[in-house]
Amino acid sequence: MGAIAIRTEGLSKRYRTSEALRDLNLEVAEGEAVGYLGPNGAGKTTTIRLLLGLIRPTKGRAEIFGLDCQHQAVEAHRRLAYVAGEANLWPSLTGAETLHLLGRVQGRVDQTYRDELITRFDFDPSKKVRAYSKGNRQKLILIAALMTRPDLLVLDEPTSGLDPLMEQAFRHSMHEARERGQTVFLSSHILSEVEALCDRVGILREGVLVDMGTLSEMRHLSALIVEATFDGSVPDLSHVPGVESVQTEGRVVRCQVRGTVEPLLKVLAASGVHELLSREPSLEELFLAHYGAGPEPEDEPPRAS
Amino acid sequence: MPAGRWPGSVIARLTARKAARSGVLWGYVFGVFVASTALGYAATYKTQTERDHLATTFGTNAAIDALIGPARQIQTVAGFTAWRSLGVLSIVGAVWGLLAATRLLRGEEDAGRWEALLAGQTTPRRGAAQALIGLGVGAATLWMLTAVVTIAVGRSSKVDIDVGAAMFFALVLVASAVMFLAVGALASQLAATRRQAAAYGGAALGLSYALRLVSDSSTRFGWLRWVSPLGWVEQLRPVTASRPLVLLPIAGFTAVLVVSAISLAGRRDLGASVLPDRNTAEARTRLLSGPLGLAIRLARPTVAGWAVAIGVFALLLGFIAKAAGEAISSSSSAEHAISHLGAAGSGPGAFLGVTFLMVALLVALMAAAQVAAARTEEAGGELDNLLVRPVRRWSWLVGRLVVATVACVISGLIAGVCSWVGEASQHSGVRFTTLLGAGFNIVPPAVLLLGVGLLTLGIWPRAVSITVYGVLAWSFLVDLIGGIIGLNHWVLDSSIFHQMAVAPAVAPNWTTNGILVAVGLAMATIGGIAFMHRDLQGA
Repeated sequence: MGAIAIRTEGLSKRYRTSEALRDLNLEVAEGEAVGYLGPNGAGKTTTIRLLLGLIRPTKGRAEIFGLDCQHQAVEAHRRLAYVAGEANLWPSLTGAETLHLLGRVQGRVDQTYRDELITRFDFDPSKKVRAYSKGNRQKLILIAALMTRPDLLVLDEPTSGLDPLMEQAFRHSMHEARERGQTVFLSSHILSEVEALCDRVGILREGVLVDMGTLSEMRHLSALIVEATFDGSVPDLSHVPGVESVQTEGRVVRCQVRGTVEPLLKVLAASGVHELLSREPSLEELFLAHYGAGPEPEDEPPRAS
Repeated sequence: MPAGRWPGSVIARLTARKAARSGVLWGYVFGVFVASTALGYAATYKTQTERDHLATTFGTNAAIDALIGPARQIQTVAGFTAWRSLGVLSIVGAVWGLLAATRLLRGEEDAGRWEALLAGQTTPRRGAAQALIGLGVGAATLWMLTAVVTIAVGRSSKVDIDVGAAMFFALVLVASAVMFLAVGALASQLAATRRQAAAYGGAALGLSYALRLVSDSSTRFGWLRWVSPLGWVEQLRPVTASRPLVLLPIAGFTAVLVVSAISLAGRRDLGASVLPDRNTAEARTRLLSGPLGLAIRLARPTVAGWAVAIGVFALLLGFIAKAAGEAISSSSSAEHAISHLGAAGSGPGAFLGVTFLMVALLVALMAAAQVAAARTEEAGGELDNLLVRPVRRWSWLVGRLVVATVACVISGLIAGVCSWVGEASQHSGVRFTTLLGAGFNIVPPAVLLLGVGLLTLGIWPRAVSITVYGVLAWSFLVDLIGGIIGLNHWVLDSSIFHQMAVAPAVAPNWTTNGILVAVGLAMATIGGIAFMHRDLQGA
């Protein structure tokens, strides 16, 4: 493992009424891609705003490339780029003006790459920010971040508002970044996004990092929810390998599958299945299954407070 | 009322709740103003001789006539109260109406909340009509509170206004608020953003005030008062010689605006404007290389608008100064050199000395808007885009402060030059350097207000807007009422305008001005240090 890109020690943030982040110890190596997972309100945005020096920790400290996030923020920011989940930009500037400003402020821009990104994301920079849709504004801050080719990309639910085609373009850009050795810190509540892009995953719940490991170590998290409707009698699925949490309601059976679905499919095919639905479980469902039902998570403080 | 029972009236109820809340707050302000004017006058001028003396000095001062309307029967408590309250509160009420309407119509639409509401069981036209009913509830609340206080004060034997007259008086006091609610509603349909709508409405208010001011400065222009909404309000002459018939143009004007606003709301797309708004633009990147350039770029359109308003107003004051000043020199005495409303001396200089308070108010308003814009940049999250890049917090704040301060100085310069151009065209004889000095003399209170705003931004960011506009409204009210009814000097000192010399009637006091600027910059520095060490805070 090379040098350290992000390091936090006992990082904590308390707001008047709630503890948003408790005693976070985190290390991200240079060149690594780390996913930061958690349901809404878990403290993901608070962590990122602490890393960026936009808010002050109640306790503990954080470093980016060995630079203190509070006291050497400007030096640290020279090497990173950040994409917020909600693009709040100056409404009276056009897309091109915004890119110009943000590039000048950052100090370095790969012009060729910028133009490539504009084409890739099918972005029209001549409009005023006020006239862009949410998705287009999101494209704008993505391009602004990527065009500087930063050593570290900090992304806070960056694909909100993007359509599937653009999500594809986003993933493509992330793979490029990884190939160039850029470090990626991706906060998300979509498991598949993190699985597709990251080597390691940290799981945050109610302000506490409850789990951290490589994707294969976290394999126990990935599961499939299968819902089958039968024509006739309902078979017993509870003994099929990989199947758990079986619930039966009339002729409908709902269960979770880990690992390969082959054994289940064999049983289903033999039992006259009429309708089959499968989907990825939401993070909340996974958390409920793995970490038990905790107290209701409090709403994440609005952006900054 | 349960939400399910009248699902079609949800917009009316939401708007009514917000407008009524604001109506209650300002109803108190109106009431307190009326009560303190009446009781303060009765306490300060106890004998009829004193009151007659006041009437001969103030009742014939053309500068004051121009500023807040002609004085009638101010040797009585009721007459004085009617004159002073109407002059001040009709402007305050108009601003209230304008801001309330643009905030609750265009502001809600900007924020995307209309989209959710109009997805329900209503149409844009009905939605706008409902919102206007809600605003009407707000205006009714304002009227009721004002009326209650006026009736209560009127029952005092010292004041003596009967119930009917008090209710009519309260109606007159809120008449401009009602008209400018309608102006704001129409502007909200014409413009593409809340700020733009407020600017259109502000221009209408400025024009209306300017016409009224000119009409009262000299009998030659008297007819102009019939083309100004604020002129109509004045012609209602409550308490002294009520003319309820003048309510007709007021009602007609309001009705026409309301009907146009509702009909336009049905004819345009949600989020779009009636007047063309360009959504694409050629990139102009010359200034966009850092926080200072960005601050200039963002402030430029607003500051340009303010500068035009200030320039036109100063030009107008200069233009009428000679005619108005002649009326002063023939009758006024110098005895009341105790406030901005009792400027010493005579002639055009004295007229400009009194009326420059309004120019100072405009410059301070512009300063307040600049601080509020800085806070909006933080609250809206735009600032994050700079601060997550290699930009220091202080360089953003200093950029904003420098732009706002320079804008104030330029406005002062424009005020001085334009008033001289107007005045020189009439050969009034006030020297250019005197007026230039008077122009710069109105800058320090604005800088002081900038300091107050930045201090608040550092220690209590969510209160920035209410603080700067609150301090400004307070100062304006105190200064207009203070000198005459002998307010305590601590209260007078709390006005940012109180230390300002009445230039060009008297010479500016540059030492005092230096202190005002220094205090403002000191407050800005403390606020800046606090800002450096706190969390960024959203709305």
